[in-house]
Amino acid sequence: MTESVFFWIFAVLTVLLAAQVVLRRNPVHAAVSLVGAFFFLSGIYLLLAAQLIAILQVMVYAGAVMVLFVFVIMLLNLKEEEMGHERLTAWKIIGGASIVVTTGLIAYLALGNAYPTGLLRDMARTQPGFGSVKGVGQALYIASVLPFEVTSLLLTIAVVGAVVVAKGKI
Amino acid sequence: MDNLASLRFFLPESILTVAVLAMFVQDLLTRRSARRVVYLTAGALVWLAIVAFATLQMPAGTASLFGGLLQHDPLRMFFTWVFLGATLLTIVIAPNSGQISPNRLGEFFALLFALVLGMYLMASASDLLTIYLSIETVSLVSYVLTGFRRGDRKSNEAALKYVIYGGVASGVMLYGMSLLYGLFATTRILGEAGIAAQLSDVTSRIFLAHAFGGQPAAQLALIVAIVFVLAGVGYKIASVPFHMWCPDVYEGAPTPFTAFLSVGPKAAGFAVAIRFFFATFERQLPDGAFAQVGDVPWPAIIGIISAATMTLGNLTALVQTNLKRMLAYSSIAHAGYLLMGLAAASAAGVQSILVYLVIYLFMNVGAFLVVIAVANARGGEQISDFRGLSVAAPVTALTLAVFLFSLTGLPPLAGFTGKYLVFAALVQRGGFWNVILAVIGVLNSAISLFYYAKIIKAMYLDEPLDRTPMRVPRLYTGLLVALAVPLLVFGVYWGPLVRWASTAFGGPTPI
Repeated sequence: MTESVFFWIFAVLTVLLAAQVVLRRNPVHAAVSLVGAFFFLSGIYLLLAAQLIAILQVMVYAGAVMVLFVFVIMLLNLKEEEMGHERLTAWKIIGGASIVVTTGLIAYLALGNAYPTGLLRDMARTQPGFGSVKGVGQALYIASVLPFEVTSLLLTIAVVGAVVVAKGKI
Repeated sequence: MDNLASLRFFLPESILTVAVLAMFVQDLLTRRSARRVVYLTAGALVWLAIVAFATLQMPAGTASLFGGLLQHDPLRMFFTWVFLGATLLTIVIAPNSGQISPNRLGEFFALLFALVLGMYLMASASDLLTIYLSIETVSLVSYVLTGFRRGDRKSNEAALKYVIYGGVASGVMLYGMSLLYGLFATTRILGEAGIAAQLSDVTSRIFLAHAFGGQPAAQLALIVAIVFVLAGVGYKIASVPFHMWCPDVYEGAPTPFTAFLSVGPKAAGFAVAIRFFFATFERQLPDGAFAQVGDVPWPAIIGIISAATMTLGNLTALVQTNLKRMLAYSSIAHAGYLLMGLAAASAAGVQSILVYLVIYLFMNVGAFLVVIAVANARGGEQISDFRGLSVAAPVTALTLAVFLFSLTGLPPLAGFTGKYLVFAALVQRGGFWNVILAVIGVLNSAISLFYYAKIIKAMYLDEPLDRTPMRVPRLYTGLLVALAVPLLVFGVYWGPLVRWASTAFGGPTPI
């Protein structure tokens, strides 16, 4: 019972703040909303018994990554007129409504009935050490070592790519 | 198979990883050399040869690698050869194209190898996580290579559009994958507790919950999940409604990379689609035919997308005046034809896709090569720049005519073989809607003749722009002939190609 109360609090706040990231015209407001969204998302991780991931989420994303974002935004130093104007066009209303209706329908019709409730939480309870540093480490470096390595290569390529795209004369 | 034992099957990918880093180092070492273009091209070709040799040495048969993250099978090997072919052509074409500055050639090759690595992974991914990661690797490198011509506004604009569309597509795909994970509590597709095994087990827990009329409620969730996963795949193969990036990117990207993009990632996207749909929702019977599992109408979804894709691609191509844009819409249309093979949901259908992709590699890269040659000599890519090409450069014009007629699918060229096999697979599968889809495909081929013929008319019948012979590098002329000859051969003698495809994907051969 308590769990589902917390779940709804975290879920609603995460979605609301994530929407704010897109809807806010001022990038600093968007960035602050993103911090909030990351924070409440980590609450959902906690409910899934993934403590380490929850802590990392707060430390790495809500902390380090966000500081970087805010720095970039401040370095860009957008003027008021450069941010563009908020215009509510018919297409935006149609788009927004269709997103709400589609996701609502999916959640209500399909997932409400289909999801085997508690399946993921069962996993947390039946596997000893789930969510601990040891458990995550073993999952990351034994079961998922290939995706881990591919991701590291992907990041290397991303760094090179950023330099290739951004720097004029090398 | 555990991680260490899997490494033997992972050799080409490992070598590619080394090649990516080695190309960066070589770029650095040859910085001051006057012959750096030669050194870099030779280096890239050597690395490619090593990768090809390692691919050749791969054991036959099937194996599940890294605990089910990747799947080694003949289908994977087939696709790796398509990738290697496209890469070889791109490496040979790129240095002379005049679109990639010699200073940045090393980076171009390094990023190209990273792209090939991503495609290798796409061809073998059998887990939602590896599928996503490999698609993302391919996408990320593609964005960078699209924006490679920094001074060019069009190139920058194309790269930005590509990034934005790509972000949306992978977001939608991840949402679909999260739905699948929620339903099955696993990301594995194959294996004991994988999605496929759970789907064929009617006592599994996803069938226990019932919604409308006793139907498993999970079915609706499954369909939604599939449509969303298709967003990621459809984006890579440029199918409707995820095709919008295609014309701008093809026009803006450096042409050698456009040629690669139109073949390599498209083939890789089909590799993912074939593996995902056939592993998850189909079960092979002892006689080689496929039976559906879980009552998910995925062939119908693919069929609708296919009809929309080829019709839109062909109708929009009719009004294009820039040849690169026209080829972009033609490549969208070809994605539609290829999807027809998938919609057939049979071994023959998949084999026809494989054959089509090999033929498509030859004809599409060839067409883009002519665009490069003409753009370098005449400074434009408009259809008007091709006026009287038959006088100025007879061999180039003749080969382009071969490529275009082959793209249309006229016999006796290889394009006809590909289309014939796709249509045959659909009709063989039978059913009212499949035949309708085949008819739509035939009508579309007829439409496509209009715009391909427009170029051929410009080359042969229009008043020449310039009667002096056009300078085409000898290497390009040789390549063009080398690409055109197989099209003539496979147009009449397609047996070996079909046999190769049927060993790659089991089942009775189409012919």
